[in-house]
Amino acid sequence: MNEPVIAVSELTRRFGATTALASVSVSLPRGAVYGLVGANGAGKTTLIKHLLGLLRAESGSVRVFGRDPVTDPVGVLSRIGYLSEENDLPGWMRVDELLRYSRAFYPAWDDDYADELRQAFALDPAARIKTLSKGQKARAGLLIALAYRPELLVLDEPSSGLDPIVRRDILGAVIRTIADEGRTVLFSSHLLDEVEQVADHVTMISHGTIVLSAPLDVIRESHRVDGRVPSLEEIFIAHVGTPASDPGP
Amino acid sequence: MRSPAAAIAWEFRGRHRRGLIALAGYLVVLATFKLIGPGWTFNMDSPERFGVVVMGPLATTFLYVLTVFSFGLSGDVAGRQSMYPARMFTLPVSTAELALWPMLYGAAAITLLWLATRFLALWPSGFDIPTVWPALAAVSLLAWTQALTWMPYGLPGLRVILAVLWLSTIDTIVLLAIHYHASEPVMVAIVAPQIPLAFVAARLAVARARRGDVPDWRGRFAGPVPTTAVPAVRRAGSGFSSPAGAEAWFEWRRRGRTLPALVGILLPFELALLWLARDAAAFVFEILFLVAVTPPFMAAFTGWTGSKPQPGVGDSYGVSPFSATRPLTTAELIGAKLKMASWSTLAAWGLVFVTTPLALAWSGTWSLVLDRAQRLNGAIGTPRAVVLVLLILAGFIVATWKHLVQSWYIGLTGREWLIKGSVLLTLTFLILLGPIVEWIIDSSSAQRALWNALPLILAGLVVLKMSAAAWIATRLERSQLLGRNALVAGAACWCVAVLALYGVLVWFFSTPFVARYVLALVAILAVPLARLSAAPLALAWNRHR
Repeated sequence: MNEPVIAVSELTRRFGATTALASVSVSLPRGAVYGLVGANGAGKTTLIKHLLGLLRAESGSVRVFGRDPVTDPVGVLSRIGYLSEENDLPGWMRVDELLRYSRAFYPAWDDDYADELRQAFALDPAARIKTLSKGQKARAGLLIALAYRPELLVLDEPSSGLDPIVRRDILGAVIRTIADEGRTVLFSSHLLDEVEQVADHVTMISHGTIVLSAPLDVIRESHRVDGRVPSLEEIFIAHVGTPASDPGP
Repeated sequence: MRSPAAAIAWEFRGRHRRGLIALAGYLVVLATFKLIGPGWTFNMDSPERFGVVVMGPLATTFLYVLTVFSFGLSGDVAGRQSMYPARMFTLPVSTAELALWPMLYGAAAITLLWLATRFLALWPSGFDIPTVWPALAAVSLLAWTQALTWMPYGLPGLRVILAVLWLSTIDTIVLLAIHYHASEPVMVAIVAPQIPLAFVAARLAVARARRGDVPDWRGRFAGPVPTTAVPAVRRAGSGFSSPAGAEAWFEWRRRGRTLPALVGILLPFELALLWLARDAAAFVFEILFLVAVTPPFMAAFTGWTGSKPQPGVGDSYGVSPFSATRPLTTAELIGAKLKMASWSTLAAWGLVFVTTPLALAWSGTWSLVLDRAQRLNGAIGTPRAVVLVLLILAGFIVATWKHLVQSWYIGLTGREWLIKGSVLLTLTFLILLGPIVEWIIDSSSAQRALWNALPLILAGLVVLKMSAAAWIATRLERSQLLGRNALVAGAACWCVAVLALYGVLVWFFSTPFVARYVLALVAILAVPLARLSAAPLALAWNRHR
């Protein structure tokens, strides 16, 4: 009955001589917060792009809500809220234009909720996107990803764009609310302390391979040493050998 | 590498290594011809042979050097932003040096290219080839190209228009001087002062780009046009009735206004010539022809740039994640682009239809047009005259739309190598087209052979087109980009368009010299099919990489 929201099986992806993903298999049931953690270049964004249909599976399969995101982009994308790592909102749009444009694609768009978020994010509706700061652009991106209460919220490295206040005071609360409503959140990050605060389930990825994927509580308990529960960062180092926030050589 | 100058030189050499090796190979070939020339019957006195062997490659290599040293391969030539690589603005180097070193290296490369061609190529006998001023002319052309490509502009496409106008002006001055047999010192005096002037302009351009001074005039020129000329264009403020409507608005705001804006910039200059024409009816009709071909010509140019996302996105030719994650099918995304192309065409032609009669009336040339219209009326009768004029106008409008959309199958792939490769191929083809056409015009046997082979050539092209269309239709169906019903409906529409065009051609060319089946072949080739239907495949290839 509880069909996984995301089902990735034996997914492999190469870019030239580099293997970005090597036989990755992940299955994420609905109604939880999933943290996808790994160092820069580990394969987090590549995996997320496959979930959105931006990359075609070279081998293996990708199913989101039981559908192939490449052959059925409408069926998948209309149920996903996505905040891109790249700040690629159209600079020429005003904030109110962005909201009206985005609203057209999602029947479940909630105007009141959108306005509430806009005020919480302190976004001027008359401001052009190109005049916004990096943090404000990320807030605008988050706003349009949340305003239709998507069944699956995908946040690709939100920490790289959002300022600390939004991350601390708003993002955590929003993520918890979504999970409490039975919806699903997948967010990638290399900042493990942030993942540790909100995630129910952690998937660690390194050099295109899943090294660990389990509920956070289980991970902590299984790594308990002499009664002390190590931090996620310590667990990550134990599995991968380097810290997640280290860009590597 | 201990100096910025050496680092910049190293970058040019490293990035364009293969091209520079090919260039060196070309010079070796030239030298080989020269070495074996005296004992060989190969001569350059035939203009077409000289054109193909020397002038064609020289123009191509000159264009290549021009593109490399103006950073023309690393930016959006139709964009407003400077094409000078932004990453270099943070180097601890003065603005003057940033402008100077690429200009100096470019000048050295283009001078060497000219000198090598001058002394290594076989030239027609009895032809006195100057050495100094052509080198200076080439350097000044390169320097102006660099200044114009590095300058930020207020409108998309303005760079191309200004570059064409300014470089043509310089060319015209040089050609006039040659026409009047100006001596070498006079030629040097004409071209040499332009080099420091171009450097000053280039330095100014780099300085403006470096401090992020990019003017934005889009609201002033392009804003009012669509809302009055195209009532179908929805404003964001009123909301959208459907996702497809929202996407069409997005496409219109992103790309749709470029064509009307470019046509709007050129029209005043073209129509101003009517005041010079006065009583010269032939000149008036030449100007009107120029006005009529402006939208299709500019559409062909803007069509190439129709797939580019916003600047600053990592993969500059790919679909941005924002666009790629719209919950629309790829066919719907193409549908929105097609709508935008239609609005853009109508807006551009709306401008032509409004401004041209006004210019004719104010310049006092309206009577000349009326007189010709009455003569046409008398010759073929009112209904045929009206139908003929309407058909010609419809032909220009459809050609504008066609030129806007027919290159999408390349641009929408988002593959930089494919886009730049096809641009290079097109330019090479255009360069070679001149000598080939000249050869055909000069050779009656070639004309005869071509005329005899024309049905076969057309039939071959039709086979090629229909085979490509069949393959594309299969791929569209297999990849579920279009359903069978949509494919059948599209094919039916295409057949109707072909039959309609065939009917018009039969009516227009009712002569025994042109067989009906040739007209049918022309109609099949003229109505877009393969390239247009490849657009969803190209976008899907780009969207789902």
